Amino acid sequence: MFLTRSEYDRGVNTFSPEGRLFQVEYAIEAIKLGSTAIGIRTNEGVILAVEKRVTSPLLVADSIEKILEIDRHVACAMSGLTADSRTMIEHARVEAQNHTFAYEEPIPVESVTQAVCDLALRFGEGADGQESTMSRPFGVALLIAGVDERGPQLYNTDPSGTFWRYEAKAIGAGSEGAQTELQEQYHRDITLADAEVLALKVLKQVMEEKLSNTNVQLAKVTQETGYSIYAKDELQSVISRM
Amino acid sequence: MMDFAPMHSAPAEVPVEHHSHGGWDPYVDNGGTSLAIAGKDFVIVASDARQSDGYSINSRYDPKAFTLSNQTVLATTGYAADAKRLVEVLEQNAQTYFHKHEKQMSAPAMAQMLSNTLYYKRFFPYYVFPILCGLDKEGKGAVFAYDPVGNMERVVYQAYGSASALVQPFLDNQVAGANQRGHEGGLLDRETARKIAIDAFTGATERDIYTGDWLDIFVIDQTGIHREKRELKHD
Repeated sequence: MFLTRSEYDRGVNTFSPEGRLFQVEYAIEAIKLGSTAIGIRTNEGVILAVEKRVTSPLLVADSIEKILEIDRHVACAMSGLTADSRTMIEHARVEAQNHTFAYEEPIPVESVTQAVCDLALRFGEGADGQESTMSRPFGVALLIAGVDERGPQLYNTDPSGTFWRYEAKAIGAGSEGAQTELQEQYHRDITLADAEVLALKVLKQVMEEKLSNTNVQLAKVTQETGYSIYAKDELQSVISRM
Repeated sequence: MMDFAPMHSAPAEVPVEHHSHGGWDPYVDNGGTSLAIAGKDFVIVASDARQSDGYSINSRYDPKAFTLSNQTVLATTGYAADAKRLVEVLEQNAQTYFHKHEKQMSAPAMAQMLSNTLYYKRFFPYYVFPILCGLDKEGKGAVFAYDPVGNMERVVYQAYGSASALVQPFLDNQVAGANQRGHEGGLLDRETARKIAIDAFTGATERDIYTGDWLDIFVIDQTGIHREKRELKHD
């Protein structure tokens, strides 16, 4: 890779002779430095779990937010550059509200995902020299969890603007180990309660710090209640079931 | 003696029909009548097909009820050209929606979209009184009635158009049971609703010069849209 890098990793919209966009590939690398996030889909709903890197005892752990609501029925967990994720999530929220305004129905989960991905490649210079909002690719990967008439769904997006649908997916620094573990532990008829525990167990294995109710976040999206994030005591009760 | 100001007993002002001379007159009322009745698991929609301009009949068969998808029908009255344009816009939006979300737009979604479409032209409205019909999420019959600027209401039945003043009270009595002692209420069954729709138009055709010629009837249910064309008096 370092041999072929040469000049072609300068311009964000320049293909290398081998047909690669290095800046996009670097952005994908950037999310491998981010904190680990896990999503597990069940027939009852989707579980999202993230690790929070509490880098100092003086840091207020509650101020780290890595799981965010997009709409009542869609949430997302992020890994990578937190600041970049704000633009994408803002866009997703606006798309969701616009859909509800236009059609008085919740936006399909895949449509939110597609909307976010549409944004991913809008970087560099505009076609006629106009300034676009982003000068470089977004350094974020998202796990988008939601429920709609097609049931509970989990999607993963990356900086290239591609998305995939998963039954269970891990992103971030510990993603390789976590994904292997998920592959072994996941089965199609896993319950939501078991998925809560599995998410934390997998997270625990790949975290450097000791897992506690302050350095992880857990959320679920179900058909009945939509998105909800676990309060400290709810989180603790899941931890005690591990 | 008191001094009275001279009384100007102006005669009651008679509305005069102003004929515009070279002015811009973008709207025409092409007459005709549309109605819809919702049932438990179906909707019935009926529109006559006469298109008039004053005392002239432009067409004896120009349908003003349109199928927008295999689950929705839009019945219109008012200005026929605007109605046709409105249908084009709705069809375009429905097609875009289908490609974007990989599903057919439901009747309630179409209803909201229609309301927005009308309201976006708030300051140069489509001169159309739309009735949108389909099934809701639970499979129940849904009738949405609008004014030309997008105010929307979900109703059980609605009549719009040149004979609406005749048909709406008829439906009040026959569908809702207004002024009927011991009426049980509730929704009509399919055959009764169909007969009432036909009777409404036979009656309207007798009394309203703008209603007649042909009657388009649509029944929407779980299996799709069932269309029927009947003759009305041509006089």
